[in-house]
Amino acid sequence: MPIKTWELDPNFKNEILNEPGGEHLTACYQCSTCTLGCPITELVPSYNPRKIIQMSLLGMRTEVLSNPDLWICAICQTCTARCPQNVVVGDVLAVMRRLAEKAEEAGEIKIESPRPLFETAFLHTVEKYGRLYDIGLAMEYYPKREGSFVAGQKAMMSDYMGFGMRMFLKGKMGPLGGHGLFKGLLASKIKQRDVMKKIFKWVEEKEKER
Amino acid sequence: MSVEKLAYYPGCPSEATALEQHMSTEAVFEKLGVELVEVEEWNCCGAAEAEDPNLVYALNARNLAIAERVNLDIMTPCSICYYNLARANNALKADEELRAEIKGIDPSLEYNGTITPKHILDVLVNDIGLEEIKSKLVKKVEVKVAPYYGCYIGRPPETAFDDPDDPVLMDQLIELIGGENVPFSTMKTKCCGGPLMMTRADLAFEMARKILDTAKNAGADCIALACPLCGMMLDAKQPDIEKALNVKFEMPIVYITQLLGLALGIEPNKLGLQKNVVGAKKILEKVV
Ligand code: SF4
Ligand code: SF4
Repeated sequence: MPIKTWELDPNFKNEILNEPGGEHLTACYQCSTCTLGCPITELVPSYNPRKIIQMSLLGMRTEVLSNPDLWICAICQTCTARCPQNVVVGDVLAVMRRLAEKAEEAGEIKIESPRPLFETAFLHTVEKYGRLYDIGLAMEYYPKREGSFVAGQKAMMSDYMGFGMRMFLKGKMGPLGGHGLFKGLLASKIKQRDVMKKIFKWVEEKEKER
Repeated sequence: MSVEKLAYYPGCPSEATALEQHMSTEAVFEKLGVELVEVEEWNCCGAAEAEDPNLVYALNARNLAIAERVNLDIMTPCSICYYNLARANNALKADEELRAEIKGIDPSLEYNGTITPKHILDVLVNDIGLEEIKSKLVKKVEVKVAPYYGCYIGRPPETAFDDPDDPVLMDQLIELIGGENVPFSTMKTKCCGGPLMMTRADLAFEMARKILDTAKNAGADCIALACPLCGMMLDAKQPDIEKALNVKFEMPIVYITQLLGLALGIEPNKLGLQKNVVGAKKILEKVV
């Protein structure tokens, strides 16, 4: 479909340039090196970071931010390492994901991927305890992803039955390892949890400033 | 030997899913006579889930500051933790304003940029050194190994400490202890899919499958690695991958510190070899 020039947002590239990690967007000269080495493109041939960058430069804001492909990047940084123009492609894609989340909050787009839910649940445990708490993460993520507590528990069980049992039997979680009765089952908490709260608050405020 | 004491940042998986990496790291460094001082009250580095660089900088300013207060370089056995510590260190060192602003969040985040974050492979090979390690070896580990590096060791360039396309640090350690590196260059630095495991398991499984498949076809007895997320994907999830894709690998996955520990004569249980999900004790037959 041809681009409708009157629907383009010439300011979109500046939005990206202003975010930490997005500073080098305009250096892209469309050589495709990023895409040729990408392990996701290898599996999903339509996945194309070069094209996403070009669309941003053109100002195709809604198309870019609602592109589900943003959420299948494995953040492996192969593209970043190989880009001859130092666009830092991996970080640029991370900027787009953050802008997409903001756009969703503003009601402009809808994100189908559960990845923002996962990342949020992960970071919630860090904010609360100072460290990742796998079980707390799963208890928040699955019900949100599935849309209800019961469906969430079911999905969690089917993903975790085998894995959880393995962790238990190997003594990595639970009493069998001799590392403490509740190893891995209860959250490992740091004392300075108030500092974690302050850090997350600062990050949120910084984001609003931009 | 140039290094006697280091601050040790174990990272979140060390407490559960990668317990064996933590155990073998401590045992190996004790044997090598390098003291590890655990970063007191360390916090999560943000892993792959903290996508806002400011969050990564602030979270790791705290970890770096704790190590700085005891005046020690900080070492981690996790590639993602290393990447986050190192990029936070770079950003904070370069930007006085950012340092001041982060210190403003809480005084415990005051970091002056006087220490260096290091990945365990870098410390072993470049700081302690192959000669020094060699002088302490008591056994030969005659296994065929597929050395798997994954991400954040050779890339991105701002934090890399090995070659982006053909890294060698782990290869060198494997040769040193009497092992054989099987041809594996096509997979050495491919992503394991770990970051997609919880949201696109189908893609993650396919990425891991390629790595396991290549190692198997190259005749490897095991895959060696140096990152707990790769360990989670290739070891802990291997039975799930086998089931979902209807394949059989039964490929032992070991941390490089576990292999090195065996060559240093450390007891297998102290290296956590009973904790690897895919039976890793098979390789003991090849330790002479
Ligand atoms: S490799 Fe760099 S310059 Fe080439 S298309 Fe990708 S981002 Fe643009
Ligand atoms: S960081 Fe994302 S886009 Fe870049 S090579 Fe890896 S998967 Fe592909």
